[in-house]
Amino acid sequence: MLRWLVLLRGLGNVVVKELKELLRDPKILIGMIVVPLIMFPILGFAIRGSIESVEERLQMLQIGVVDFDRQSASEDLKAFLQNNLTVTLVSINASDIGEAVRLLQTDTNATDLIIIPSGFTQNISQGNPAYVEIYSVFSGTRGIAEIASSSIVSEYLEFYRRDLAPEPFNTISKSIVKGKPTDVPPSTLFTIMSSQVFVLPTTISILLVFSMQIAATSVASEKEEKTLETLLSLPISRFTILAGKLVGSIIVAAVGAVTIMIGFNYYMGSFMLMGDVGSGPVDLAAIGLAPTPLGYVILGASIFMALLSALALAIIISAFAQDVRGAQSIVGYLYVLIMLPMIIIMFTDFNALPLTAKIILLAVPYSHPMLAAQDIITGNYLAAVSGVIYVGLFTVALLYAASRLFSTEKILTAKLKFRGLKFKRKKIQNSENP
Amino acid sequence: MSFAVEAEDLAKSFGNIKALDGLSFRINPGEIYGLIGPNGAGKTTALRIISTLILPTSGYVKVHDHDVVDEASVVRKLIAYLPEEAGAYKNLSGEEYLRFMASFSLRENGSLEEMVAIAAQISGLGNRLRDKVKTYSKGMKRRLLVARALMTRPKLAVLDEPTSGLDVLHSVHVREIIKQQVKKYDVTVLISSHNMLEVEYLCEKVALINHGKIIAEGTPDKLKIDNDVENLEEAFAKVVGLA
Ligand SMILES: Nc1ncnc2c1ncn2[C@@H]1O[C@H](COP(=O)(O)OP(=O)(O)OP(=O)(O)O)[C@@H](O)[C@H]1O
Ligand SMILES: [Mg+2]
Repeated sequence: MLRWLVLLRGLGNVVVKELKELLRDPKILIGMIVVPLIMFPILGFAIRGSIESVEERLQMLQIGVVDFDRQSASEDLKAFLQNNLTVTLVSINASDIGEAVRLLQTDTNATDLIIIPSGFTQNISQGNPAYVEIYSVFSGTRGIAEIASSSIVSEYLEFYRRDLAPEPFNTISKSIVKGKPTDVPPSTLFTIMSSQVFVLPTTISILLVFSMQIAATSVASEKEEKTLETLLSLPISRFTILAGKLVGSIIVAAVGAVTIMIGFNYYMGSFMLMGDVGSGPVDLAAIGLAPTPLGYVILGASIFMALLSALALAIIISAFAQDVRGAQSIVGYLYVLIMLPMIIIMFTDFNALPLTAKIILLAVPYSHPMLAAQDIITGNYLAAVSGVIYVGLFTVALLYAASRLFSTEKILTAKLKFRGLKFKRKKIQNSENP
Repeated sequence: MSFAVEAEDLAKSFGNIKALDGLSFRINPGEIYGLIGPNGAGKTTALRIISTLILPTSGYVKVHDHDVVDEASVVRKLIAYLPEEAGAYKNLSGEEYLRFMASFSLRENGSLEEMVAIAAQISGLGNRLRDKVKTYSKGMKRRLLVARALMTRPKLAVLDEPTSGLDVLHSVHVREIIKQQVKKYDVTVLISSHNMLEVEYLCEKVALINHGKIIAEGTPDKLKIDNDVENLEEAFAKVVGLA
């Protein structure tokens, strides 16, 4: 019995010591308590906001309809849609598809257009194959919401076709890309463009995280291995040392990036082949969805700028750590700035976000290469280039700060200080010993 | 006459801690000058200021008439600094490390190959120079670092406890080398040490510092006579005990 008590007291002492060690380490305090407390609400808010924005969109959704038939079957179909669809049906009077697409984009905010061809009623009544075309605008910026509205429309039509329509007819899904109708179904486009929707943001995020890790380690390991003092006393400019660290990290990161790209490309390739089986090869260039060489240059510049700013930031932050482990956990907090934009951009339509969310997203430099990946497809080069300029300015400011840090003694003496915590503790002590 | 080092009323505070509090001393060219003092006296802080790593809160230091703050880049060309606690890049071999370090020094002080050869001789590491630094023992690493500080024939070598962690034989060897270098290449040496035997053997002049101030200065003999003691250790104990 006594033995057990002794054992328990020993355990208690060890636990108290462990808790003191752990809770007094600011890194653990921030990592375990502060970050989750902030990160999850923001993430939840962002995702809820994006889901709401999709739902809102679906409720306010308008669908254009062009009736070239104007007979009983087409009137029945329209009446059904009017009565059953939660969305607003807008009739468009046009003489051809081109005009209908133009009117859809100028006069409505609809992203889907149902076309009932002439002879629809006649074909049905004579038992000939009849069809309805659904054209959906493919924007390339709406992430996963891209195919939500068009699939709703197809589903309603399917419902009508199977159970209510007297004679069966087919629906054909087609796309409107950059204001022009094409025969490629939106789902195929989506599959193909998912490299832009998913692969690029994830790849960019991994690349950023990876290179920040390298840069942080390269500064912190100089401290941990006690090589920094010697290095700083050598007759080389501090800026050279900083630049050397940046370039070194960029090269290692670039090798990593290429490996990641190759791996992902191979991985995605297996899906793309599947997507193409039904519809045959799609010429992206012909429908205007292939990035131009200029687009690639802009995207490259955007990724490079973001990379540079991430490296500079990691170097600055890691200068406040005493060792590699410390540097990596401090830099870890920055991943929120990469992961959050990534999730938001992958799953929401940037253009549909509330203004404040847009501003916050644009203020974070790491959103820009992910947005640029969309911009170069939609041809919105101005937005992408402004992004590059913004991140460039941000990077220049960071590099300036980093070179200041390297040219002073702070690189050796800087430490994360928690004045607030210390202050509080002092106060408590004071009240204890008046 | 210009001094190799001229420190005037140096003060350095880290927050509330006064590491240096009005430290002044002068070192003639070609001299071996020793800083001794108890733990926390401010020796390392003084050497780091002279080596342009940290800034004095007030006062100034000149190395061969160049201010360590305003002309830091000139000073860095003149000095070699061996930190108290130093490491080498562990994934480089000893030789690669020496080559890397030599590549930054002035060409007029000898070719890269010459420097590496000198360093090999100073360190006494022989074939082990081809091995990665991470396979070295603590003392071997220290020898590599001492060698790298001296191989470039700096005008001023700032050595913070150069022989700490070395065995007796290698300590003797390193002291010999330091003496030789001073004679051969007109190097000035500023060292800090806790080893009074070493200081007595090496230094022409010694400064005893405590609480960031010099409390006694002179040749080892003078310090002994002034305090009426047999050796430096006793002088140290007496002066620091009094202060
Ligand atoms: N980066 C720093 N931050 C805060 N205080 C410091 C820092 N560096 C040194 N100090 C303080 O300055 C004082 C002098 O330290 P310094 O390292 O110069 O002593 P030292 O004479 O080299 O001692 P030792 O013989 O132990 O090497 C000490 O009180 C130390 O705590
Ligand atoms: Mg010291």
